[in-house]
Amino acid sequence: MATDVIMPKMGATMEEGTIVTWFLNKGDYVEEGSPIAEIQTDKIAIEIEAEVSGTLLHTCYEAGETVKVHEVIAYIGEKDELIEDSNSSKKMEVIEQVKEKEQVLPPPSTAENFQKIRRTPAARVLANEHRIDLSEVSGTGPNGRIEKKDVLHFINSKKKITPLASKIAAAENLDIENIAGTGAYQKITKKDLMLPKTSEKSKPLKGMRKVIADRMSQSAFTAPHVTITSEIDMTSCINLRKELLPEIERSTGLRLSFNEILLFATAKTLSKHPNMNASIIDDYIVEHESINIGFAVSVEDGLLVPVVKDANKLGLTELTAACKELGLLAREGKLLPHHLEEGTFTISNLGMYAVDSFTPIINQPQSAILGVGRIVEKPAVINKAIEIRSMMVLSLSFDHRLIDGAPAAAFLTDLKEILENPMKLLL
Amino acid sequence: MQFDLIIIGGGPGGYVAAIRAASIGKKVALIEAADLGGTCLNRGCIPSKTMLKYAELIDGVKKASHWGIEINEMNLSLDKMIERKNSIVTQLKNGVQYLMDKNKIMIFKGTGTLSDDKSVEIEMEAGIQKIAAHQIIIATGSRPVVPKIKGIDQIQYHTTDTIFDMQEIPKSIAIIGGGVIGVEMASVFASLGSAVSIIELNDRIISAEDIDASIILEKALRKKGIKIFKNTEVTAFEDFNHTKKISCMENGEEKTIEVDAVLLAIGRQPNLSVLGSSSIKLKKNHIEVDKYLETSKKGIFAIGDVIGGLQLAHVASAEGLTAVANLEGKKKEMDYSVIPRCIYTQPQIASVGYTEETLKNKGLEYRVEKSEFSSNGKAITMGAAEGFAKLYVDPIYGEILGAVMAGENVTEMISQISSYMTLEGTIDELAEMIQPHPSLSETLMETANSLLGRGIHY
Repeated sequence: MATDVIMPKMGATMEEGTIVTWFLNKGDYVEEGSPIAEIQTDKIAIEIEAEVSGTLLHTCYEAGETVKVHEVIAYIGEKDELIEDSNSSKKMEVIEQVKEKEQVLPPPSTAENFQKIRRTPAARVLANEHRIDLSEVSGTGPNGRIEKKDVLHFINSKKKITPLASKIAAAENLDIENIAGTGAYQKITKKDLMLPKTSEKSKPLKGMRKVIADRMSQSAFTAPHVTITSEIDMTSCINLRKELLPEIERSTGLRLSFNEILLFATAKTLSKHPNMNASIIDDYIVEHESINIGFAVSVEDGLLVPVVKDANKLGLTELTAACKELGLLAREGKLLPHHLEEGTFTISNLGMYAVDSFTPIINQPQSAILGVGRIVEKPAVINKAIEIRSMMVLSLSFDHRLIDGAPAAAFLTDLKEILENPMKLLL
Repeated sequence: MQFDLIIIGGGPGGYVAAIRAASIGKKVALIEAADLGGTCLNRGCIPSKTMLKYAELIDGVKKASHWGIEINEMNLSLDKMIERKNSIVTQLKNGVQYLMDKNKIMIFKGTGTLSDDKSVEIEMEAGIQKIAAHQIIIATGSRPVVPKIKGIDQIQYHTTDTIFDMQEIPKSIAIIGGGVIGVEMASVFASLGSAVSIIELNDRIISAEDIDASIILEKALRKKGIKIFKNTEVTAFEDFNHTKKISCMENGEEKTIEVDAVLLAIGRQPNLSVLGSSSIKLKKNHIEVDKYLETSKKGIFAIGDVIGGLQLAHVASAEGLTAVANLEGKKKEMDYSVIPRCIYTQPQIASVGYTEETLKNKGLEYRVEKSEFSSNGKAITMGAAEGFAKLYVDPIYGEILGAVMAGENVTEMISQISSYMTLEGTIDELAEMIQPHPSLSETLMETANSLLGRGIHY
C-alpha cells in the first residue's frame, strides 16, 4: 500500500506550511531519507525527506500552495500502484466537509452523491471562495479527487475567455478571476494575460520572501511604531572589547564583536525594564519571564532572526559562542525552527554599512526592536573641551499600543548609560 | 471655412474615415483631386477584379469544352468589357457619393496643399480656396512608380492608371514586375489572347508570399502560355516600328524582348505633394506616423498608402477608422496582426498573419502542415485540383500564427482563418469544427487535424 507523505508539524505554533518546490516529478524514484520537497513555515524553510524508498506516485498540491499540518501532500509506493484511500478518518473528514457544505449550497439530489466528492483542502477553499458547487467539478487526481487546478480550470471555463487565452491560463496556472478582459463584452484575450509580463524582470513572491513580506506589512499596519534615537559614545566599549577580545579568543577561539557586547548590554538593561520585553496576546499585555533576544542575519534573498534564549543569564563568553553558532547556522541554511522561536526582543545591526540611524520594524509579536548604526569618529564635547570620540546612534522602535514614550526613553537612556560606562555591566 | 476635420483624399481610407467621423458628429470636409473611391475603385481593385472575372470565364469556357460543354465560337468584345467595367465603377462611385451626401460631408474637388497651421489650400477649377480644421487626416494614397530606365520616355507605356481603358487587346505585352499587380494583369491578358511576358527582378514571382504559393502560381501561369523571366533586369526601352524593344539582363546574360505593349507594375510610391511647405516628418519616402497614426505634427494624422506598409485598400480603411478613434485622445493602436492578403489569379492566392520568413526572422517557434486540394472532393468536381491550405501554428498552444492558401475561392476562405486569429480560436477548435461536405474548406479541417497528428484523408 502506498505511504502517505504528510505536512510535518515543526513546532508548537506551526499550523500550516507552504510547499516551495517539489524536488521530484511524479513517477520519479526516491530513496529513503532523500529530500522530496522544500516546505516554508512561518519561520523557516525545511526539506521533507522520504520515510520509505519508492516511486513518487502522486503529489496533491502544486508548489506555492499552503497546506495544513498533518495533511497528506504526496504518496510514495510501488511503481504503477493504485492509491487506496482506505484511511477511515479521512473519509470521515470528507463527510464532515460535506455537512459543512450543505449549509451554504443547495441540497444534493442524493446524499450518496456528496459522499463521493473527494477534494483536496485547497480545492475546497478555492471552491468556497468562488461559491462553486464541487459536484459540478470533475477531478483529475487519484480516484477522481478534485484538486486546486481542477477548480481553477472550472472557474476559468466559466468566464468569457478566448480559447487561446484559456489554454495559456491553464498552462501557466493563472487564476483569471481578477483579470479584466479587453475584448468584446470584456472577453479575456491573450493580450490581457500577457500584460503583467513586460520586459521588466519579475519573479514570484514566494518562500521566505513571501513570509517576510507578509510579516513586515502585518507589523507595520497593526502596530503603531514610534522610533526614538540616541547617540552613544562608544569609546569605552571599544576599549573594553580590546581588553576582552584576546581573553575570549583564548578560551573559545572566537572573536568578540560589538554585536555580542550590544546584545549583552541590552539583555542586562531589559531585565530592569520588563515592560519593554512584552507582547500583546489576546488583548492581554504579557511581560515575558525570559529575555530571549533575536538578532537579524542577512541571508541570500532574505533575512533570518535566530534567538539567543535567556540572554540575560549568559556570560559574555557563552553569549559570544551562542551568537557565533547561530550566525553560522543561519548563513549555512541549517537553522531549525526552535532556533527561531520564542524571541522577546530583536536587535538589527546595520553598523557594517554607512548607516547612522534608521526606523526598524518590530518583529511581531514582540514590542520593540533596537536598530544599531555604525561607529564613527566625531568631535564631542567632554568637560568643555572638544575631543574625537567614537560615536554610534541607536534607534529604538516600539509599539505604542503597550509602550509609551517615557518608559521607552528611560530604557534607551539606561542602555546608553551602560554602553558609555561598561563597568556598570558588572553591577 | 472652418471644419472639425479635413480629410485629404477620397479613396478607401479617406472616405471611410469621413463617414465614421461624420457619424460621431464631426463637421467634415473631404478633398478629392480626381474621383471618389480613389485608386481602389477607379484604377485598382475593382477594375482589375472585373477584368479577372472575364479571364476566369474565358478560361472556364475553354475548360468546359473538355467536359462536354462545347461552345463553337467565342467572340471577345473589349469595348463591351470596358463598358461594363466603367458602369460598375460608376455604380460604386455613385454609391460613395450617396454616402457622402447622406452624412453631410462637404466635398471639395481639387488638389489640396497643407500648411502647418492646419489649413489647406485647394486648387479647384473655380480658383483657389482655403479651408481650415482642428484636425486633419492625410489620405492621399500612391501612384505607380515609373523607373528611371534608359529610353523610358521614348516609348508609350501603360501603368494601372491607363491599362483599364485600353482601346484594343495587344498582340503581345511585357509586364515589368511579377508582384501582385503584375501576375493579375498577366492572367487577364493571357486569357484575352495576348502573348504575355513577365519580367521579374527577383528569383521568384510574388516574392513577398510563401514559396509554395510562388511555385504553384508560376506553374499555372506558364501553363496559360505566359513567359516568365526571373532574375531579370530591364536595362533599356526602345521604340522600333511601333513595337517596343526591351533590353534586359537575365542571370547576367543580355536578352531582347519585342512586344506591342508595356505595362509597368514594379510598385507604388506615396503622393506627397500635399505636404507643400509643412514640416511633417518623413521616413524613407512615406509619411512617418506613430502607432496611433498621428504624424509628427499634433492633430495631423495620416493613413493608407501614403504611410507605406502594406498598400492594401482594407488596410487603408482600417487605418481610417483607427485614426478617427484617436481624434479625441489617443486610445486605439493600429493593429496589423490579422490582415488578409489576396491575389485574384487562377489559382487565387490568399494569406494572413505571419509568413514563414517572418516567423524565422522573429525567431518564433512554429509547426506547419499543408493539405492539397488534389484530394478534396469539391475541388475535383470543380476541375480546380490545383491548390493547398497551409497553416503555421504555435507548438504549445496551437495558436494560428499564419496561413497561406492557393486555389479557387481561397480569397473568401481566408476569412475563416482571419476569424480564428481575431477571436483567438486555436488549431484544436478548427480541427473540431464541422465544415460542409463537399467543400474546399474541408482542407482547413484536414490541415488542422494533421497538425494534431490525426488527419483522416492524408
